[in-house]
Amino acid sequence: MQEVVRTPMVPVRAEIVKIVPETPDTKTFYFRVQGGLVEAPKPGQFTEVYVPGVGEAPVSICGLEDGILVQTVRSVGALTDYLFKMREGDLVGIRGPYGKGWPIEKLAGKDVLIVAGGIGLAPLRGVILEVERNRGKYGKLTILYGARTPSLLLYRYEFDRYREIPNTEFLLTVDHPDETWRYHVGVVTELIPMARIDVERTIALVCGPEIMMRFTVKALEQIGFKENQIYFSLERRMKCGIGLCGHCQVGPYFVCRHGPVFPYWLIKKYFWVDEI
Amino acid sequence: MIFADQVLFRGSVYSGVEDDLKSLFNVAVSRGYRVIGPKLVNSVIRLEQLNDFNEIPYGYGDKQAPGYYRVVNNGGRFRHGPDSPKRFLYPPELLLFIIRPDLSVEYPRFEFYKTAFFGIKPCDLAAINVMDGVQGELGDEYYRKVRENLLLIVENCVEPGDTCFCATMGTGPFAFKGFDVAYTRVGSGVVIFQPGSDLGVDILSELSLRPAEDEQVDFLRNLMLDASKKARAEFTLENLPETLEMGLDSEVYRKIAERCFGCANCNMVCPTCFCFDVIDEPELDGSAKRIRIWDGCHSYSYAQVAGGHFRKSLYARYRHWVLHKFVYWIRQFGTFGCVGCGRCITWCPAGIDLRQVVRDVVKEVETRCRR
Repeated sequence: MQEVVRTPMVPVRAEIVKIVPETPDTKTFYFRVQGGLVEAPKPGQFTEVYVPGVGEAPVSICGLEDGILVQTVRSVGALTDYLFKMREGDLVGIRGPYGKGWPIEKLAGKDVLIVAGGIGLAPLRGVILEVERNRGKYGKLTILYGARTPSLLLYRYEFDRYREIPNTEFLLTVDHPDETWRYHVGVVTELIPMARIDVERTIALVCGPEIMMRFTVKALEQIGFKENQIYFSLERRMKCGIGLCGHCQVGPYFVCRHGPVFPYWLIKKYFWVDEI
Repeated sequence: MIFADQVLFRGSVYSGVEDDLKSLFNVAVSRGYRVIGPKLVNSVIRLEQLNDFNEIPYGYGDKQAPGYYRVVNNGGRFRHGPDSPKRFLYPPELLLFIIRPDLSVEYPRFEFYKTAFFGIKPCDLAAINVMDGVQGELGDEYYRKVRENLLLIVENCVEPGDTCFCATMGTGPFAFKGFDVAYTRVGSGVVIFQPGSDLGVDILSELSLRPAEDEQVDFLRNLMLDASKKARAEFTLENLPETLEMGLDSEVYRKIAERCFGCANCNMVCPTCFCFDVIDEPELDGSAKRIRIWDGCHSYSYAQVAGGHFRKSLYARYRHWVLHKFVYWIRQFGTFGCVGCGRCITWCPAGIDLRQVVRDVVKEVETRCRR
């Protein structure tokens, strides 16, 4: 007798309801997931986005607005190139949310330091919005954000909104400025000594290219941050999203299941080993 | 570590002849099992569905060495070929579902058979237990449905091959637990049988055997001790994960990468490697098949993402494989990921010997510590 075999790796139908161009190579997609997501996503978690006949890719969650899933995508491969050709009303598949997000509950009563590089701001946007929404719960918010050029900064249309969050310091930097650039020029770690940071009462959340995160961790340790005050989000090939396929391992950890957000102390041993 | 006394006196030991093996085979068939066992196909001993006991190539031997495999018709004993039970429990290609342009999904239906593995070796029995640890945790439904109705008839290894190191890994050369029936062909047409489960007792009771004589048990014990002396690597499990983790930066991996092709043959023949990729096979009607295929950590694309690569160097991919088998697996699933079957050594086109790699890393770390 034949039996049906099911898998948890099945996408749910989702409609693209809005597309916002961010930078020359990134767009923010607004997805209406049929029947809603199985659980409310937390900032820092991700979904697997499926384009029919093309494949799947992990994409971090940047927000949830009136039940609409907000995800910023950079066009870097076959799947994302195809996704960029899609229009409002087109269908994709979504499954998730997956993984551990930022430690929001541990941030209560603490100062929050966000250090982001390039598209690394995408998974942290949800934290900024959470601080804005429940402003009294958290201490000072510091956002240090850098990109290669001004045109590669995400969410520029929201920057004024971030600045208006009470008790917030928002510093920007780029490697290559244009003629209109009024802020710092240099790598994002140079912003760390410029910000007013009360190390004792601060939790740092870091996301960006791996090399940027390494320099950021070093810079934070230099000013007194302990291993348990630093969290970062790792990128790996999270093919299945649920700890089955093996691709995203870092040491004994599956980034998709045990991360993608890790406390620094948990993976310190592996973090500094090249290509571990 | 398995001790001869534990194996022999754990259950009852019975004596029979080679015809009783045939009867055992036929009992499995008569009970409706699809029997999978060793079969000579294109000069290689594969695991295939068997319709007749005589398809088992008893009397053939093999020669296995790093990067070397030949079957020989020499009246000797053959060992395990490239196939392991993984091929049946966790197929190389499996349709997960069909998805249509409107994102509706159709799940596949499969025929599931009661399956008997006949004459698999203790290393492959151990590999099934290791896979249970992985799939038990992760819960692959296809695996579970095959696993539920398995009959495990294991042939103990009197003559382990030259790439075997099951005795070091504590998985052989004699079956210790988790089987239904174990048998040993001790020579001169005599076969010793041992039941290992309720099902095994039930099945054996259909045969007509007799209790093994004391001398037979002694003889068996000596065979076992001799065999386990052969199937060894030059390292021990003592502190192995900790030692290997102290050697993350070992030069040994870089040296190996000079010979490794990154072909992932070792991943494919490994009886426990479980990594997979999922690919789309588009159909003309706009639907797509989502298909799970085996992937291996030695492949170039394994840790590659669009716009980046997390293990571009071959040494790092080789190192990940070794560390996963001997370090990470324990933390993830509670057992070593290696059962010492030696397939990765035999089927490596470069003849890289995993036993030497592990030994050399351990030596390097120990030398460093003494300084």
